[in-house]
Amino acid sequence: MSDMIPHSVQTESPTAMDRRSFLRTGLGGAMFLGTVSVTAGLSGCATAPAGRDYPMPGAMDQSYEFRFLTRDDIILFEALLPAIVGPGLTEEPVVRRQQIQSTIERIDAGIHQFGPANQKELRGLFDLLNFGLTRVTVARVWSSWENASTETAQAFLERWRTSGIGLFNNGYIALTKVTNVAFYGHQDHWHLSGYPGPPAFAVDALPQFKNSA
Amino acid sequence: MSLTDRIARGLEAGWKVTDGATLSQNQTHEADVVIIGTGAGGGTTAEILARAGLSVILVEEGRLYYQKDFKMNELDAYASLYQEGMSRVTSDGAIAILQGRCVGGSTTVNWTSSFRTPEPTLNHWASRFGLDGLSPEAMRPWFDGREQRHNIEPWVTDPNVNNDILRQGCEALGWSWEVIPRNVKGCWNLGYCGVGCPTNAKQGALTTTIPGALDNNARLFHGLRADKLVMKQDRIDHLQASAMAADGVTPSGITVTLKAKHFVVAASAIGSPGLLLRSDIPDPHDRIGKRTFLHPVNATVAEMPHTVEPYYGAPQSIYSDEFNFSQGVEGPAGFKLEVPPLHPAMSAGVVPGHGKQQVNDLSKLPRMNSVIALLRDGFHPDSPGGTVSLRDDGSPILDYPVTDYLWRGLKDAFYKMAEIQFAAGARKVRLMHLDSPWYSSWADAKAGIDRLPMEPHRVRLFTAHQMGGCGMGGDPEESVVNGFGEHHQVPNLSIHDASIFPTSIGANPQLSVYALAARNSTRLAHRLSSS
Repeated sequence: MSDMIPHSVQTESPTAMDRRSFLRTGLGGAMFLGTVSVTAGLSGCATAPAGRDYPMPGAMDQSYEFRFLTRDDIILFEALLPAIVGPGLTEEPVVRRQQIQSTIERIDAGIHQFGPANQKELRGLFDLLNFGLTRVTVARVWSSWENASTETAQAFLERWRTSGIGLFNNGYIALTKVTNVAFYGHQDHWHLSGYPGPPAFAVDALPQFKNSA
Repeated sequence: MSLTDRIARGLEAGWKVTDGATLSQNQTHEADVVIIGTGAGGGTTAEILARAGLSVILVEEGRLYYQKDFKMNELDAYASLYQEGMSRVTSDGAIAILQGRCVGGSTTVNWTSSFRTPEPTLNHWASRFGLDGLSPEAMRPWFDGREQRHNIEPWVTDPNVNNDILRQGCEALGWSWEVIPRNVKGCWNLGYCGVGCPTNAKQGALTTTIPGALDNNARLFHGLRADKLVMKQDRIDHLQASAMAADGVTPSGITVTLKAKHFVVAASAIGSPGLLLRSDIPDPHDRIGKRTFLHPVNATVAEMPHTVEPYYGAPQSIYSDEFNFSQGVEGPAGFKLEVPPLHPAMSAGVVPGHGKQQVNDLSKLPRMNSVIALLRDGFHPDSPGGTVSLRDDGSPILDYPVTDYLWRGLKDAFYKMAEIQFAAGARKVRLMHLDSPWYSSWADAKAGIDRLPMEPHRVRLFTAHQMGGCGMGGDPEESVVNGFGEHHQVPNLSIHDASIFPTSIGANPQLSVYALAARNSTRLAHRLSSS
C-alpha cells in the first residue's frame, strides 16, 4: 500500500508542517484532502454511498437509503457518536442502537442537502479519517474505527479541538456540528436540552398540523 | 388553509407558477423583464414592474414553500429553506453563512428586524462613492413607502426574556437600547421566524410582493437555477437555466431559456456576482465579486438564574447601537448588539463542544440567553471585505479573511457582551470560542477575553447578512452599477439586491434592500414603459 501514499504525507507529518503554510490557503487543505480521497479509493476504502445495503442490527427502519455516507463513514460515525453525544445516548442497548442508527441517517439526509461543493469537502474529511495511513498520522487513531473505543474517539476529538492547526479545528467543528444538530435537533432528544417543543396552543390551532397526526 | 393562506389561495386562483421539477422537456419563454431571485430585491422589483403593466418572469433556484410546509421544525426547515442546507461557509470554513434559498429568499426565514439604512452609512456612501442621490432626505420617502408595504413598525409587545436581558444589561450600564421595528401583521409572538412563519404574520416577500406580482400576471419558475446570462453584442439576449429535481439539489437535465428586453439580477451578494462571473459579463476594471461584505457575528451565551425560554417569543425585539457608530464611521470596527433565538438544533450547532460537557451546556437551554454582535465592515481602509469567485463546478464561494481590524472589533464585542450579561444578572457566561470555559464573574470573563486567542476556527463566527460584490458608485472604475443599480457596461442589465451596497450597512439589511429596489424599479418601470 505504501506505493500509493501521496508524497506529501510520506515525507512530512502534518503536525511537523509549518503551520502557516498548511493554513495559508484553503486550496492547500483541499488539495491535500483531494489526494487522500483518491488514494483512499485506490486502497479499497468504500467510496460509494451505502444505499440500503447496510444492515444495522436492531434498527426499526431497514428501508433508509444512504445517499452520501459510505459503509466506512457509517462505521466512523458509529465510533464517534458515543464520544460526541456521550451521556446523551441511553445505556439500554436496543434503544441506544436505534438512537445511533437514526442519528446517522439524519446526518446522511442533512448532508444530501449540502450540495456538491460542501459534500466534496466532507468526502475529503471522511476519507482522511477512514484511510488507514492518514487515520494514524493525522488523527492519531491507531486501531480501525470499528475497533476504536469511546476513549480513543474522545481523545481524537479533544486533540482536534485543542490543536493549533486551524484545519483540524475546522474538522472538529464539522464532525461535531453535523452530529450535534442531527442528534439534539430531533424531537426524540429535545428533552435533553429542556426544549418543550412548539407551543401546543399553536399546534392545535394551525391548519398545517391538522392532517399530519 | 386556502381561506387564509395567500399562496394557497393564489395557486387555486390560477397563478402562473411552475415547479422546475415538473418540467419534462426543454423550453423557451419570453417576457419584458426576467428577474433572477425572489428575495427582498426580486420580489419588490417584480411587483412594481408587473403593476406597471410589464410582463415579468421570476426565476428562483429554491423551491416554493408556504404555510402548509412551515411546521416549526428546525431540521426540515434548515435542510429545505437555507442555502446549502444550512452548511454554507466562507472558503476557509471560518464563518458560517445563514442565507435563505426558497421563494422569498432570506425574507422567508429572517428574524423580521427591519431597520432603515443608518444615516452615517448613507452619508459615507455619498461622500466616498459619489452616491449623493442616496442621502437620508432623498431616501426617506422610499423607506416610508416600504415600511407601509411590509407593515414595519417598532414591536409594541413586551420583549421576551432573552431580549429583555439585553435591555436590562444596557440599562444597568448606562448604554443605549431601542425597540426593533419588525415586519409583521397579527404576529402570534411564537418565536419560529427562522423556520418559516407558521401563521403568515411575517410580511416578507413571500406574503406581500410575490403575491402582488403574481396577481398582476407575473410568472414564477421555482426550482430553476439561473446558469448563465448570454450576451448578443453589447446586450443580454437570454438567460440559460437548469431545472432542479424535486430534492432541490440535483439538476434534472431539463433546460429553460428565458428571453427578455431587460434582466434584473437579484440573487444576493453571493449569488449575483456568481451569476455575472459565470456569464462573463463585461468587467473592464475587475470589480465583480470584489468588496463583498458580511456583518461578521460573534456571540456569548449566559446561564441566567431564572427561566429565559429563548425559543419562544419574537426572536429579536431589542437592540443597542451604543457601539455601532460611536467612534466615527471610519473609526474602529463598530457593532450592533442584538439577541438570537435559541432552539435546540441551532444551539447544538452554535455552542461548540462534545460529550458530557456538551450535554451539560445544552441542558441549560431553558435558562440560556445569548447576545450577538454584528460588526460593521467596509468603512475603513483596513476592512476591504471578501471576494466571491467560482468553484470548478461554477458555484460561487466567498473568501473572507478576518483582518486584524475585525479581530479587534470582535474582541471588543466579546467584552461588551459579557459585561451586559453579568450586569443583567447572569450566573455564568461563556464565549462562543473553542477554548472558552464558563466564567462566573465579569472580572473572570474580562481576564479570559484578554488571554484567549482571536483566531479563525477557534472563535466561532456567523453571519446572516451578505452585501456588496456588485458595488454601486459614480465611478465605473471602482463599481459595477450606478446609483440606480444600472450596470455600467451592459444597458439591459440591472442589479436589485444587497450586492450593490458599497459597504456593509451596520444594520439588518432587508429594509435597505426593499427601499433601494423600490426606488430603482420605479425608475426602471418608467424607462421600460416609455421605450
